[in-house]
Formats: sequence, structure tokens, C-alpha cells
Amino acid sequence: MQGPLIDTLARRGVTRRTFLKYCATLASMMALPPTAGRAMAEAMAAARRPSVIWLPFQECTGCTESITRSHSPTIEGMIFDMISLDYQETLMAAAGHQAEEALHAAMQDNAGKYLLIVDGSIPLGQDGAYSCIGGRSNVDILKEAAQGAAAVIAVGSCASFGGIPKANPNPTGAVSVSDLVKDKPIVNIPGCPPIPVVMTGVLAHYLTFGSLPELDDKGRPKSFFGETIHDRCYRRPFYDQGKFAKTFDDEGARQGWCLFELGCKGPVTHNACATVKWNGGTSWPVESGHGCLGCSEPDFWDGGGFYKALSAPADPLKFAAAAAVVGAGAGVAVSVANRVKKSAAKATHETTTLADLEK
Amino acid sequence: MSLDSIPIHVVPPGEPGLTGNAPPLLRELLEMVRRLLETGEPSAIDLSALPLTPADLDWLRDKLGAGEISVTLQANGESTLNETACPGVWWVTHHNEQGAVTSQFIEVAFVPDLVKAHPQDVEIGSGYLELLVSDL
Repeated sequence: MQGPLIDTLARRGVTRRTFLKYCATLASMMALPPTAGRAMAEAMAAARRPSVIWLPFQECTGCTESITRSHSPTIEGMIFDMISLDYQETLMAAAGHQAEEALHAAMQDNAGKYLLIVDGSIPLGQDGAYSCIGGRSNVDILKEAAQGAAAVIAVGSCASFGGIPKANPNPTGAVSVSDLVKDKPIVNIPGCPPIPVVMTGVLAHYLTFGSLPELDDKGRPKSFFGETIHDRCYRRPFYDQGKFAKTFDDEGARQGWCLFELGCKGPVTHNACATVKWNGGTSWPVESGHGCLGCSEPDFWDGGGFYKALSAPADPLKFAAAAAVVGAGAGVAVSVANRVKKSAAKATHETTTLADLEK
Repeated sequence: MSLDSIPIHVVPPGEPGLTGNAPPLLRELLEMVRRLLETGEPSAIDLSALPLTPADLDWLRDKLGAGEISVTLQANGESTLNETACPGVWWVTHHNEQGAVTSQFIEVAFVPDLVKAHPQDVEIGSGYLELLVSDL
């Protein structure tokens, strides 16, 4: 089924105008100039299918689910089908030796040109024995596959930053792709799971411009990870007005007020959930009444508690400094409240513990 | 059990009014229309990329008015391409299949690209016509 993408799309019932419309929206999401949508559509329509090798390591398959199991066939899914996915354990029909042969054939035939997608972290403990495929450790496979890749795309927080396997105490010695691969361009698409359109955006950019999109200091595409959840949150006006839900069932929560004091990590989390949303644009965590967990940031699992307000100090002695770093009005308010608790405790000669300061 | 018994009533934050971000767009549109006349080069403004409130968009739409042509495109959800009272200025809104707005543009062009048939598609159409003729 080789041939230009547009022919393959046409066979699946996607017309050129549908595709043009999709590209216009995609370009808009990627903060590209409005005319880029057309350039993107032309380049992608004519593109031959790039060979893609997808290696799953220490992962839960949530990233694959996110991208391939939308409730209805999306264009993201179709574009994904259109790439020449030469190796993906979860999706491929082949198994065992046949699968491994497909991997090596793809690596040889497209040496230097294929895109390598990795999901899951790579364990280094016990010589990598914690996770093996076909008797070879993940770290071996990654090093071999990265050698011939044009670029590596780390999908999900585990591949990008180590994710949950790396969470304290990191029993398997898990590391991220960028900890091991140093000589190839790497794009991190973190999130637990990542947003499907971000992945299509990166692929579209690669097919259109022959290069990877602009990245931030953590290797994430700036167009999707340039702003925080808080920057674009529809509850932001409540934050600005100082209206906060104090518990998940109080009047503030019912009125849809800001979830900052319930531990929302929106102010320090860079991702596009607030604008792109989830499940075909249905909703996203904050809209469903729960604070952001910060899943697209490094070490989010060890951030000190999902329900602890950001300004709650990690070290009671340094709480004033911690509040200053956050610098948010509400953060100061929380720490002032903590300070009141602390002086009350002092007055009664009680020892203040960290637990006293936590909400 | 009906969901009505759950006493949650989300009150949307009060709609912010006019921000003053819309009027400068009229000047930009004027520039774009002049460029179209002089060089024939089409251009567009991505409305979803700008800090515009619903009130700003209403103001802009009201100022630009409605023209004679409205095009509706059914492709993965509905899209509308409506000419404004200024010929050559088109208000383009893309919806997804659930009806939500996915992106919104003001295009300055004699005819928006999306409306034109692509030569490759016309070729496919001519093939179909040939087939019809050969069956006569």
C-alpha cells in the first residue's frame, strides 16, 4: 500500500477538503501562520509513508491506547495508520521471530531514515534484565535501533523523563531515552498519556518541513508545551479573583472555582489539555472537577502529593522562601495560613511538624 | 437515580466583555485587502490564536456584516465559509463532528482555497465522466 498519503486517505473515505480542513486546524493548534495549513496539506498529501519503528519498553500501553483507541476513527488515527509502521508489538500481527525479523528488515532497508518512536522507560538495573524482548534487554535494543534513526520520538512521560517506573525508589534503575541516546535529535512528548494530536503534529511537521518542530528546554514541542495549564485554564478568572474550592464537595467546588488549594499542578505544568481537551474535545481533568496532576512534567509522581497545594513547603524552615518562589497571591495566602498555624503551635509550645503544615 | 439529585451547578465565570483587541484587526484586514488587490496574494487571520472574547468576536462579526455568499462544507463536521459585507473577506468556521468549533479564521481571498476544486480531484471527476459517456 505504498503511494502518496492523499490516495490512501481517499481510499478510506477522507476527501481532500476534509484533509485541508484538518491541516488548517492542526496548523492553528501548532501556532503556525494560517497559510502553513495549506503548505502542510500539500506536503503531507504528497508524502510517501515514512518508515516508523515503535519500541515499547517499560510501559503500560496507555500511550498506544491514547493514540489508537479513540471512540471513533479520527484523522489522527488514520494518519497514524498511513505511516509505514514496521514494528509495533501491540498492533502488529506478526509475533516471535517473524516480528524480530520485521524489525531488522525495517532497520536495514531504511537505515538513517526511519523515525524511532519509544514508549516506556529503560531499566538499567541488573544489566537491564528487568525488561527484555526476545531475550535482549531494552537498553541493547534502544542503542541498536537509535543508531540508524533519523530522529527519536519519546512518547509519554516514561520515555521522556522516566515516568512512573523511575518514581522513588526506582527499583529497576529506570531512565529516559534522552539519558541514553545523545547523538540523535529527540522529541519528548510527555503526558500520562500524551495528547494524540501532539503526536500527529510532530509527524505532520516532520513530513511538511523535513525537520522537527521547535523544542523547549525539556525537549518538548513548544507549540503544544509552550504554555502552562494554568495560563489557558477556563477557571483562571476564579484564581485571579481569589475564589478557591477548599474541599471537593464545598460550595466553591460546586461553583467550579479554582482547584489550586486542592493541589492542582496547573501553574507548573506545560501541556495543551486546557485548549485541546480529551476524548474528542469533550472535557479535561480540571473541567471534570479534579486538579491537574502535572503528568507531563519530570518526576510528577514524586512531586509531594497530588492533593497538596503547590506552595505547601517541602521544608518547614524554608517555607517563606518556597512561597516566594511560587510568588502567587494564593500561594502566599496558603503559607500565611500555615504561618498562623505555626505560631499558634509555638504559642502552645507544641512542636510543629511537616504534617501540621500540610493541608 | 437521576443526576438531578447531585447538587452541583457549575456557574461559568462572568463573560468578560470587550477587550479592545478586535478594532486593530480591522486595520490589519484593510492592509490584507489592499495586498490582495495589488498582488493577488491571499492571507488569513487565525482567530483562535488571538486573545479575543466572545464579545470581541461578536463585535467583529457585527462590524464586518454579512455578504451574499455562504458556503457550507460537510467534511468531518460542518464548516461554514461566509463572505462578509466586504467582498473578498470571508469568515471561516470549522466545526468537528460533535459541533464544537475547532478553528476560526478570517480569510482575505477572491475565493477561499477550500472552495476551489483541486486539479487532481477534477482529473478523477473527468475519469468518472468519461466512464459515464462510454456507457451511453
